[in-house]
Amino acid sequence: MSRAFDLVLYALLISCALMVIRTKDLLAAAIIFTTYSLIMCLVWQLRGSPDVALTEAAVGAGVTSVLFLITISRTTRRER
Amino acid sequence: MEGLWNNIDYAASVVLFLIGLYAVIAKGNLVKKLMGLNVMETAVFAFVMATGIVTGGDAPILGAGAHEPFANPLPQALILTGIVVALSTTALALSLIIRIYERHGTIESEDLWGVE
Amino acid sequence: MRRAFVIALLVLASVPLLYGVGQLPPIGSTDNPTYTHVVPRYIQQAEEEAGAENIVTAIILNYRGYDTNGEVTVIFTALVAVLGVLMITRSDSGPSVPISPVPVSPVTRFIVRTLSPFILMFSVYMVLYGHSSPGGGFQGGTIVGALLIVLSLVTESADVQRLLPPAVKVWLQPAAVLAFGVIGIAGLLLVGSYLAFPVEGDLVFLRVPWLTVIEVGIGVGGAVIVASIFWAMEGSA
Repeated sequence: MSRAFDLVLYALLISCALMVIRTKDLLAAAIIFTTYSLIMCLVWQLRGSPDVALTEAAVGAGVTSVLFLITISRTTRRER
Repeated sequence: MEGLWNNIDYAASVVLFLIGLYAVIAKGNLVKKLMGLNVMETAVFAFVMATGIVTGGDAPILGAGAHEPFANPLPQALILTGIVVALSTTALALSLIIRIYERHGTIESEDLWGVE
Repeated sequence: MRRAFVIALLVLASVPLLYGVGQLPPIGSTDNPTYTHVVPRYIQQAEEEAGAENIVTAIILNYRGYDTNGEVTVIFTALVAVLGVLMITRSDSGPSVPISPVPVSPVTRFIVRTLSPFILMFSVYMVLYGHSSPGGGFQGGTIVGALLIVLSLVTESADVQRLLPPAVKVWLQPAAVLAFGVIGIAGLLLVGSYLAFPVEGDLVFLRVPWLTVIEVGIGVGGAVIVASIFWAMEGSA
């Protein structure tokens, strides 16, 4: 039962990673990257490690995404 | 194939690593390359954490209500340090990208060939 | 053409990787090589030797304390490097490209300002209780840093930066490295080697304050470092 849930989460992770690479709009890529971090946080929690899940949620979805958004707002928004 | 189906967690992290590697090699925009690098880093963390899975394992915190097979705490400690180091390199790379854009006006790597 | 070549190369590289991964010992069994070497000793003796119920905190602060010392040095070095790269534009080219201000909706402002005290209290709880529940120094510190970032986005950055005058900020940014240095030298003087914990004897009651000082140092240092990186990248120093 929990193996099926693991497989669904891995499929979501792989599709999020593919979408991050394919989109030409960098703002959309940053937001999909935040979703990728959030699903990775769920994977950590299912592996029995709440410490790593807290750190990944705070760092990945909290800080790294904001830094990406600041960089995109100070440089270009669309990829050529 | 049977061994690969048992180790599906390792295989998923290998696939994620190769997706991130494709972004670093084949994409021209520097911010896209940096996102690919972050995907590679989280794929490696997933691989190291997968070596610490114990089926039916509990979170490694002693106290009331903790049952016996604990998940392996050693990979978790290593990955905590790894996440902080990944944050540090991402912050420094993003500030370099801002500086490159202020100086040269572009962040596509084909236009940046041959500038000083 | 070039993309097809790169994809073919990566598919070719994935074959030995997936074959090797399939040959590893099966996931989930308790007689994996990673589970039978040092980890049973950590699990059984973490409470008596380290005084912490959270085994991961006991490992990163007690058994593998040098690694955490290196980690806080790495993030402090990253802050120094970011300030060095971005502050150099201030002196030679004047004010940099300003971000066009978008008016913030009153709903966002109300929600952020109402939730801030609860977020702060939760992160202080996580820092102080890190040794017996999930949490720890860096988790709580990053949440406070993210709170400062969100407050800077909702109100003006200058108002939030008034909370940290430069004379105070200079001493809070290396707080994690200084905390490790102080505890390390105290361990050197009291026990005998750098960053050693008092295991037996009459100084055993000092173990939990030992851990708490390091955790508070990592928390405060992490929060100010994350907020300073954001302010430097935004352009308001």
